[in-house]
Amino acid sequence: MPYLPTSQSYLEQSSLLLQAYPDTRITTKYTFPRTSTSTKPSSSTTQSQQPTSTEETEPKPRIAVLELKTYHPGSGICLKYRTNKGAEVGRLITSLGKLAAGADVEGLGLGNNPTTAAGGGAAGDVEMGDAPTAAATAEGQTVAGEGGNTGAAGKGGKGKKKGGKGKR
Amino acid sequence: MPAHLGHEEFFTSLTTLLNNTSQRTRGSVYLTQKPLLNTTTESASQPSILIRATDGNTNAPNPRTAEAKKKVSKSGSAASKVKISTVVSPDDLEAFYARYAEVCKAGMTGLKKRDRKKGKAKGKKEGGKVIKG
Repeated sequence: MPYLPTSQSYLEQSSLLLQAYPDTRITTKYTFPRTSTSTKPSSSTTQSQQPTSTEETEPKPRIAVLELKTYHPGSGICLKYRTNKGAEVGRLITSLGKLAAGADVEGLGLGNNPTTAAGGGAAGDVEMGDAPTAAATAEGQTVAGEGGNTGAAGKGGKGKKKGGKGKR
Repeated sequence: MPAHLGHEEFFTSLTTLLNNTSQRTRGSVYLTQKPLLNTTTESASQPSILIRATDGNTNAPNPRTAEAKKKVSKSGSAASKVKISTVVSPDDLEAFYARYAEVCKAGMTGLKKRDRKKGKAKGKKEGGKVIKG
């Protein structure tokens, strides 16, 4: 059950899986993770005369997790992606709609020149032989890694520019 | 199993389900989509999509906590499990998912908000592009 590093690679791999097996299902789980084993069993039962001490309101608000899972019951293939960023929700759900409508990798409209090229490469691999989904996944991950690198490089460039402005 | 809901009812129920979960900051909501494959009629190019939403009974009181000691709740908790579903025909998919995305965005308030830094950087980036153009 691999977690894919980016939503992009998750959606690409899912679309390939859906094309190969139309009866694949996608589950979106919105969940608040369990709190770590709470060792406060008896303190809460002793009724609160000092509520401040017993109810230590958590300093940080609990953050929910959104987990997408693409699963094909016949083959047992399972792809996962998880995030906790609210900004991604709209885009992810819209993409799920495109997947449901049977969109292929290019139909997802994920843009970005290098990544679409990579998507094409992955699709080629799957067409050649249906079996190596693992290989395809691996490739997706490496591609994603490259994308991350280039992104970092781009950020570096901007940083330099900003620095230049500051000096002037 | 209850009958499938209409889209309107589905969205109303889903909104309350997501809001309840977000407010309680515990529990889960599961959304599933899968195509309804008719083996009898293969003529349809695109199958309808079945959408299910459930809380997996995670909003039932935690039996371990002292508050949930009431033994009556056992039968009540099983009944409180939320299960809703709807069927979307291929023609309605786009409109449905646009709405679906809105409902989810509005309901999943427990996720991290977009940080300010990011927004600022984005604005700068756009500004730079404009100057270049």
